[in-house]
Amino acid sequence: MNARRVLAVAQKSLSQFRHDKRTLVFVVGMPLLMVLAFGYTFGGQVHDVRTLVVNQDAGPMGARLVQNLTGDTLSLASYADVASARAEVEAGRAWAVLWFPANFTQDLLGRRAVLRLLLDGTSPPIAGAVLSSVRAAAQTAFAGTGGAAVLTLDSEYVYGSSDTRFIDSFAPGVIALAVLMVTTIFSVIVIVREKTGGMLERLFSTPLAPLELVLGHAAALSLIAVAQSAVILVATILLFQIQIVGNVALVFAVLLLFAVGNQGLGMVASAAARNELQAVQFIPLVLFPSLLLGGVFYPLEAIPGGLRPLAYLIPVTYANDAMRSVMLRGWGIGDVGIDIVVLAAYAIVALLAAAVFIRRQA
Amino acid sequence: MCKDLSKRFGEIEALQGLTLLVPRGTIFGLLGPNGAGKTTTIRLWLGLTEPSGGTAFVLGRRIPPREVLPQIGYMPQDVAVYGDLTVDENLALFGRLVGMTAESIEDRTEEVLELVDIATRRHHLVSTLSGGMRRRTSLAVALLHDPDLLLLDEPTVGVDPELRAAFWTYFRDLTRRGKTVVITTHYMEEAARCDRVALLHQGRLLAEGPPSVIKQRTRTGNLDEAFLALVRGEREPRG
Repeated sequence: MNARRVLAVAQKSLSQFRHDKRTLVFVVGMPLLMVLAFGYTFGGQVHDVRTLVVNQDAGPMGARLVQNLTGDTLSLASYADVASARAEVEAGRAWAVLWFPANFTQDLLGRRAVLRLLLDGTSPPIAGAVLSSVRAAAQTAFAGTGGAAVLTLDSEYVYGSSDTRFIDSFAPGVIALAVLMVTTIFSVIVIVREKTGGMLERLFSTPLAPLELVLGHAAALSLIAVAQSAVILVATILLFQIQIVGNVALVFAVLLLFAVGNQGLGMVASAAARNELQAVQFIPLVLFPSLLLGGVFYPLEAIPGGLRPLAYLIPVTYANDAMRSVMLRGWGIGDVGIDIVVLAAYAIVALLAAAVFIRRQA
Repeated sequence: MCKDLSKRFGEIEALQGLTLLVPRGTIFGLLGPNGAGKTTTIRLWLGLTEPSGGTAFVLGRRIPPREVLPQIGYMPQDVAVYGDLTVDENLALFGRLVGMTAESIEDRTEEVLELVDIATRRHHLVSTLSGGMRRRTSLAVALLHDPDLLLLDEPTVGVDPELRAAFWTYFRDLTRRGKTVVITTHYMEEAARCDRVALLHQGRLLAEGPPSVIKQRTRTGNLDEAFLALVRGEREPRG
């Protein structure tokens, strides 16, 4: 094992990307496209959500928040009392009620105000849009008095229930899927390309060992995967106001392990394939089970019992669980220990398997 | 370099009991038509394929010779350099893989690119170069680390006569410094410039020795005729 040779392969792989401008565009463009597609399809860029405002606040802060509810997401109407506003929601004529209690301004200045929300939670994208609009408005309105931090949203679900927005709950999974897709696509091509050009044999006529070749490629592709994850993360935060409560470094560590595992698996397929067409057919084989069984869009609990054990054989299940727990629940490394161990084992086994397969080819 | 070496691909016997000794400091030609077993022999010496029988030695080590690989320069028959890297980047990659330092890669790159006459193209992507230039890049990669043993599989195909002459002068210089050059070719007139040649036919060794001795023995005027005479002799054994 020689680190210089691993680095030489990694640098070569990165140089190849650098010379390939179209692929560079793809590297940044595709995950962004995925985030946009998922975000806007599922995130629900909803409009004109009928929202009733009951402002009993004696001070100016309630009104100030309402003034900041700009844009066309919410369509506001004022109501004098909570009971009649609630009746509107119960009757399905409105989606939400914002209720500012009489001492709202006073509490806010005392740094712990509560805004009461009545929500129809039957449509997560709509409930999510109401919540994110209110959060965003509070952020602007109370910028001088400590921002949204001093405000507690006390949501009461008239119908349905949800702790998080739909997009919040699947954003970590979408990031994991984007990483899965991109790492698989590149790694599945990389060995077969060396092979068909006669380069694999040329490389192995030097002291380069199969594992060094695999590690070199994995290092280069991981760097790309991490850069892509950063792009995706920033895009989801900017476009969909995803809140990350956990440690971003841990998020990247999870993604990195997951990416390396996928690359190993992709290189196994690549080594087994005789040409690029055969290699590419491997991509849907990985992608579809991951989409359907990995718990990104449907919770594992919703997967029929007979299929559920399969879900635990799919690496994205662990990546998604870890990402979600860290990003949304703020869990630390100890809390997602099992996920990390599984992903690390996946990475090691996949890389070694790739080295063995490539050795057989040479 | 090998004793009783055999290689079978399914039904085909690519090499049948080849025994050869390549003396150090010589230019050694492996001659024969396509399918004679020249490339197979080289791949066996590099440990790229396992022999079906017999043993092979390279630079005094029994193969697969991982630790002697850095002392071998290999130019495969098909151009094996990265089209999506520049000439320089290709040289840097293979230089690093055989353990050269950045400085020695820098120094040697200039030297070998001058020799193969593509110094002006060093920053071009290999895919943008002509076929002949790609082969010269491939040769430059093989020469870069100044190896003790050069295994060159058809190195002069597609190279113009002037440059071909320059290559041969360089190969001759190398042998004066104690380096060994093994060349496969099916150009018999090129083979005549080797110190020793081995004539291969259908995986078998027909004859081995200095070209002049082979010609003398077969009472022929050139290696082409010698080869044909030997093939005839093999089909209809005398006596």
